[in-house]
Amino acid sequence: MSDLRIINIEKQYPQTQQKSEPAFSLQPVRLTIKQGEFFSLLGPSGCGKTTLLKLVAGLLPADNGEIWVGDDNLTAVAPEDRRFAMVFQQSLLFPHMTVEDNVAFGLKMQKISKKQRLADAHGMLEHVGLGGYGSRFPDELSGGQQQRVALARALVANPRVLLMDEPFSALDPSLREEMRELLSRIQKEFRVTVLFVTHDREEAFYLSDRIGVMSEGTLLQVGKAKKLYEQPVSAKVALFLGLKNIIKGTVADGRFSSSDQNFEFLVEDTIQTGPCLLILRPEALQPVTKAAALHPDSIQVSGVIQQMRFNHGFYSVKVKVGSNKLDCSIASQQAEEMVPGQKIDLLVKLKDIWLIVE
Amino acid sequence: MKKPRRLLNSILFLLLFIVIGLPFVPLVLSSVSFGWQWPNVLPESFSFRVWEYVLAGSSGTWSAVGVSLLIAFIVTAVNILLAVPAANALVRYSLRGKWLIEAIVFAPIIIPPFVAVMGIHLTFLRLGLTETIFGVVLAHISPTLPYMVRAIMISYNTLSVDWENQARMLGAGPISRFAHVVLPHLLPGIAAGASLSVLISLSQYLITFIIGSGQVVTLPILLFPFISGGDPAVASAYSLLYAGIAIMALVGMDIALKKYYQNKKIATGKG
Repeated sequence: MSDLRIINIEKQYPQTQQKSEPAFSLQPVRLTIKQGEFFSLLGPSGCGKTTLLKLVAGLLPADNGEIWVGDDNLTAVAPEDRRFAMVFQQSLLFPHMTVEDNVAFGLKMQKISKKQRLADAHGMLEHVGLGGYGSRFPDELSGGQQQRVALARALVANPRVLLMDEPFSALDPSLREEMRELLSRIQKEFRVTVLFVTHDREEAFYLSDRIGVMSEGTLLQVGKAKKLYEQPVSAKVALFLGLKNIIKGTVADGRFSSSDQNFEFLVEDTIQTGPCLLILRPEALQPVTKAAALHPDSIQVSGVIQQMRFNHGFYSVKVKVGSNKLDCSIASQQAEEMVPGQKIDLLVKLKDIWLIVE
Repeated sequence: MKKPRRLLNSILFLLLFIVIGLPFVPLVLSSVSFGWQWPNVLPESFSFRVWEYVLAGSSGTWSAVGVSLLIAFIVTAVNILLAVPAANALVRYSLRGKWLIEAIVFAPIIIPPFVAVMGIHLTFLRLGLTETIFGVVLAHISPTLPYMVRAIMISYNTLSVDWENQARMLGAGPISRFAHVVLPHLLPGIAAGASLSVLISLSQYLITFIIGSGQVVTLPILLFPFISGGDPAVASAYSLLYAGIAIMALVGMDIALKKYYQNKKIATGKG
């Protein structure tokens, strides 16, 4: 199979003019992306995800490491000969060419006959829903249409890997969702391997088979979206995925106790003794209802509601428990009886609890 | 709002006409006059003898026009070949002492060409390049190249490397990238630089005179003796001819460029 293998690729940028900030470096990355897989690199801006993408593309020379596709070592191959395709944040359509010439450009470079390449370009434009737009010029299209053309242009030459560098970040939210669906459909249809860079976790979660979370030049964790969200390996990953309920504590004698003593429960013996972080997902924290008896495999805490915000379909409620402020997602029906300042009892099932050893 | 603007426009147009158009009136009158002496406002009698002389084969006007245009276009072609890589390097690469290189390239704009030409003349004498069109072409490059480099540098400044990277990712090698992505973007800059280069080369007198030693006869070489004390009527006729050729060269290049873009649009529009 022609998997994309990134073997200990590394890049050190020279020290910038301002000596105060340290030079950026990308720590060695080792990653295998299976053929036909949709893989996203997720991280805040400046974390090195675009650098990694450009290293894979060959647009930046790597200091160390290798890039393989199947049995081909592409490390020393020029970007134009790698048979990769790339979609950038801007659509970068050549302004002096029509849409169909733009789409056919890659095929023209492969010396495919004009008739054949225009036919292929038409077919691909149909796929992205721009059938009748071939003879227009790029400046006659909207931003979303331009990005569709860019996608068609990248896919038409049947690339081994499709690299995408925040391709939808310049579009407005509703258009972004539409493009997400289109990309997801086309990717499944063509079974193309995609390496996608984004800082938008919703986008990454929607599209990806697997996600790699990056921060400050390091690949922190790789896994499926659900696994990353439910079992982050570090506080950094948890924070970036929007998990703000991080409670400091220690594990001793098979028990976790938070530093303010509000959380105490038994843990499995597999967890090491020592300082620990307790991660509580906002939707795992639910108010205790009178009907539900105390579940044996759960813990209960009480706190005071500080703030409530309506957030499409549910309420985000901030509850102060001891010295910690916890974010809870509570269904509208339940939240309607609550007011800020009120006391509230919260329940967490033990299976929804996640501990990170510090 | 609209009325004052229209008034302003017409005043500006009038001023422009006075500054640019009016000087041509006495030139035309002088070229067709027969003895025009003070204090007459208009010439006493008219004749076309000057034009007959200028346009006749014996005066060498047409060969001078040919030589002028030949030199101007060769100079421009060489300038394009030199300026594109130079502008690319000056815009894209950050190297130590870049300001010095830029200063040397742009020096001929500030330093009078006469200064450089004296040195060039000596060297060309030793190399046997004086009195040849080739020598004059080489000498014309120094005052024209800076304008070409400047114009193409501005075009390069607006060309993000992303475009070339995008072409690269679509499988375009260096030659294809230049032909399909870089050149179309540079074309307006090249056209602007070429217009300047043609005009400056056409108007060179001193450099042509010194390096060509009177053997390479361009239009300014023919024109000069008549201005400085010869027949002002002939000088007027040559001035008009010179202006006409300069304007035609400019308009011709403009039309060629527009036609290129139109053809491109039609060709791609139909295809």
